[in-house]
Amino acid sequence: MLRIITVLTVILYLIISCTAHQQPPLTEQASIEPAQAVALKKEKGAIFVDTMSYLECMDHRIPDSLCIAFEEFEEKSKAILKNKGQHIIFYCESDECLRAGQTYQKAKILGYKNIFILNGGLPAWKKAGYEVESIHRIKRAPVVSIKPHMLERLIKEKKDLFILDARSEDLYRSGHIDGAVNIPLYELNKRLKDIPKNRPVLVIDENGKKSFLVCCWLINNGVKDVIRFYGGMKYKEAKERKKG
Amino acid sequence: MADKNWFASLFILMILFFAGEIFSAEVKINCVDCHTSAKYKGMYKESVHGNIGCKGCHEDIKSLDRHIIKKEKPSLISCGKCHGEIDKAYRNSFHYLYEDFRCYDCHYEIHTLRPEKGQFKITVAKNCTKCHTNEEYALSGHGAAVMKGNKDSATCSDCHGLHDTKAYHTSTERYILEAREFYNRTCKSCHSDREMMIRNGLSPDTVKYYEETYHGKVQDLGYPTSVAGCADCHTTHNILAKRHPDSAINPKNLTKNCEKCHHGIHPRFAEYKAHPDYKDRKRYPLLYVSFLSMVVLLLVTFAFYWTHTLLWWRKVYWEKHKLEQLGIKPESPFAHEENIQEIRRFSIKDRVMHVLLIISFFGLVITGFPIKYHNVPWAKVIIKIMGGAHNAGLYHRLAAIILIGLFLVAIWRSIRFLFPKGFCKKDRKGWLDRLFGPDSLMPNKQDWRQFKAMVMWFFNKGEYPKFDRWTYWEKFDFLAVFWGMFIIGGSGITLWAPEMASYVYPGWVFNIASIFHSEEALLAALFIFTVHFFNTHLIPTKFPMDPIIFTGSYKLEELWRSRTLEYERLVKEKRLDEFKIKHPGLALKIASSTFGYVSLLIGIIFTFIILWTFFFG
Repeated sequence: MLRIITVLTVILYLIISCTAHQQPPLTEQASIEPAQAVALKKEKGAIFVDTMSYLECMDHRIPDSLCIAFEEFEEKSKAILKNKGQHIIFYCESDECLRAGQTYQKAKILGYKNIFILNGGLPAWKKAGYEVESIHRIKRAPVVSIKPHMLERLIKEKKDLFILDARSEDLYRSGHIDGAVNIPLYELNKRLKDIPKNRPVLVIDENGKKSFLVCCWLINNGVKDVIRFYGGMKYKEAKERKKG
Repeated sequence: MADKNWFASLFILMILFFAGEIFSAEVKINCVDCHTSAKYKGMYKESVHGNIGCKGCHEDIKSLDRHIIKKEKPSLISCGKCHGEIDKAYRNSFHYLYEDFRCYDCHYEIHTLRPEKGQFKITVAKNCTKCHTNEEYALSGHGAAVMKGNKDSATCSDCHGLHDTKAYHTSTERYILEAREFYNRTCKSCHSDREMMIRNGLSPDTVKYYEETYHGKVQDLGYPTSVAGCADCHTTHNILAKRHPDSAINPKNLTKNCEKCHHGIHPRFAEYKAHPDYKDRKRYPLLYVSFLSMVVLLLVTFAFYWTHTLLWWRKVYWEKHKLEQLGIKPESPFAHEENIQEIRRFSIKDRVMHVLLIISFFGLVITGFPIKYHNVPWAKVIIKIMGGAHNAGLYHRLAAIILIGLFLVAIWRSIRFLFPKGFCKKDRKGWLDRLFGPDSLMPNKQDWRQFKAMVMWFFNKGEYPKFDRWTYWEKFDFLAVFWGMFIIGGSGITLWAPEMASYVYPGWVFNIASIFHSEEALLAALFIFTVHFFNTHLIPTKFPMDPIIFTGSYKLEELWRSRTLEYERLVKEKRLDEFKIKHPGLALKIASSTFGYVSLLIGIIFTFIILWTFFFG
C-alpha cells in the first residue's frame, strides 16, 4: 500500500511540475474590424502601420499609414513610434498574410500597450468601402510568367538569366534555385543597383502573390526583360512533391 | 438716369457672358493645342469616349492658366461616375482587392479605346494573357476556337468573370470544395446549353448524362469533393479534343487521370464511361441492352404482381363485404379452447433474421435512394441528416454487410435443411425429397396448380386453394431475395471496390453494375413495399398488420384456414403437438407491433415518395 501511495505521489508531482513549467500561451491578438479601426483613429488618434515592404506600401496603403515592414519594425519603431502607449493598428496585404500578426507579437514584446490587428487586412478595408492612397504607384505592365516545368528550358535558353529571389533571408536559406540572388522584398527599393538592367530577370517570391508587382517595378525602373515565376517557390515545391 | 444705369448693367452682363463663352471655348481648343499627340487630337474623337470631351472626365481642372503652369493637376479619374455598375462589381473583385489594379491598368489607352465590333472574346483573351501567360489555354480547344472567332467558345471572362473576378482558388488539390464547385458551375453553364452545344457539334446532353452517373449524382446532392467533377477529368485550361495526344481524356492518359482518385487500378479501369447515354444503342450497345433488360424486368414483374394483388384484394374485399352484409361469421371446426391454441410457424432464428433483414433493407433504401433520386429536395434532406454523402455511403455499406451476412446464413441453413445429418453419402439420402417436399421453399408442380386455382378463385370460378406450409408467393418472395442478392449484391460489391474489380473486368462493367444496382433496388423496394406488404399485412383479412414474423406464432384456426394441407399433414403425422406453444407475452407483442408498424409506415412513406419522384420528380 505504501508503495502504491509513493508511486502515485511521484506521478502527481511529475504532472504538476510539467504543467507548472509549460510556457504561457501566446498573447491573444486584438483584431479589429475596419469600422472599429476608423473609429479608433478618430477617437484615440490611432496610427495605421503597413507591415508590408516599402514598395508595396508606397504603391497603395490606408491613408496616412506608416510604412514599417515587419523585418524593420524593431529598428524603425524606436525612431518613429516612441510613445509605447500610442494606439497602433497593424495590417497586411491579405487575410492570409502573417506579417501583421508577427509585427504585433514583436510590438508586444517591445512594450507597446495599445496595439491591434486589422482583421482581413487591406482587402477587408477595401471591401468595407474605404479608399486607399498611392504615394508612388507602380505602373502595372504586362508581365510574362513561366511555370516550374518551364524553368529548366528558360535557364538553357537564357544563359545570362538573373534569378531574383525576393523572399526573406530565412526562406532563401531553407532552399532556393541554383544561382538565385536573394534580395528580400523589403530591401528591394534600396538595392535596385544590384539588379542588372540589360539581363533577363526572373522574379521568384514565396507564393506568386508579390512577384507581379516586383516585375512591374523593375520594368518601370528600366529592366527590359522581366519574367515572373508563377506560383512562387511554394508552387514549385508542391509540384516537385507531387512528382515524388 | 435710370436708363443709363440699365444700359451700363446690360453692357457689363454682355461682357461677362461673352468672356465666359470665350474662356470655355479656349479650354476646349487649348486641350488639344498643348496635348498635340495623335491619340488626343484625332484618335480620341473616334474612340468610345470621343463624344464626352476632355472636361467630361477631367472636370476638376477649373483654371486653365493654373493648369498650364502645372499648379493645377488633374486628379485620378473616377470611371465609376459613368460606369457605376461595373465600378460596384469591380470593388469586390480580386484584381482590386488583392492586386490594387485600377481601370487604366487593363484599359491601357483609354483615349484611343475603340468599340469591340464582335472581337470581344479575342480582346479579353489577349488582354488577360498579357499578365496571365497561359500557353495551355492558348493551345486548348477553347482558346483556339476563340481566336478563330467562335463566339460560343469560352474566353477567360466566361469562366473567371470580367470586372467581377473573384479570388477563386482553382487548385482542385488544395481547395477541394471551392475549386470543384467553381469548375462544375462554369463548365455546366455552357455545356448544358442545348442550342450552343448543337451549334458547335457537341453532345447537348453530356451534363445530363454525367448527372445520371454516381459522380454526377453525389455532386448534384451538394458533395462535389467526394467525386470527380468536370475539371478532375478534363483539367482546366488545357482542354483538348479526345484524339489529341496531350488531352487528359485521350485513352493513353485516361488511366493516369482516373488514378488521381482511384489508386492502384488496372489500366482497363479507364474503360468506364463517364457520361454515357444508356439509350444510345449504337455507341453503347451493352449498356443499352442492360438498361432495356432491367426496364423489361421491372415492367413484367410489376405488371404481373400488381394485377395479382389487385385481383386478390377485390376478391377478399368483396367476400368480406358480403359476409358483413349478411352478418355471417366464418365458421371454425374447433372448440374455443382449441381454437385459441398458438401454433409455432417461425423459429427464433427465422424471426431474428427477418428483423435484421428489415433493418438492413431499410438502411439500404434510406441511404441509397437519395443517390438514385438526387435531384429532388427530399434526397438532399436525407443525405444532410446522415451527415453527407460520405457518411451515407458508410451506412449503406454497413447495411450491405448485414444483408450479405444474412444471405450467407440463409445459404448455410438451406444446406443444413437438405443435409441435416451430414454430407457423407449415406447421410445425403433423401435430400431431393426434402428439396421438393412441403417444408421446402423450392417451387414445385403443386405451386403451379395452386396458382391456377388462385386465379380461378379471383374470378369466382373455384374455391380458395389449399396451401401447405409455403404458398407460391412466399416462395417467390424468398427466391427473389436470392436472385436480387446476386444482382444487387454482385453489382454493389463491384461498385464498392471498383479499383480491385478492375483486375477482374473492364471499366464499362461498372456502368452496367450501376444500372443493375439502381434498377434492381427500385424493383426490390417497390416489390417489398407494395406486393409483399399487401400479401402479408394489407390484405383485408390481415389489415393493418400481421405480426406473425415477429411473434412467431398464430392461432390453430389460422393454420387450418390458411395452411389447410399443412394442418392435415401434421394431424396425419401426429406432429401437431410439436408446434403447440404458449400465447406470446405482452412485451413481445408490444415490441412486435411497434417495430412492425414503424417499418410499415416507413415503407409506405417511401413508396409514395418513390412513386411521386418517378412520375413527377
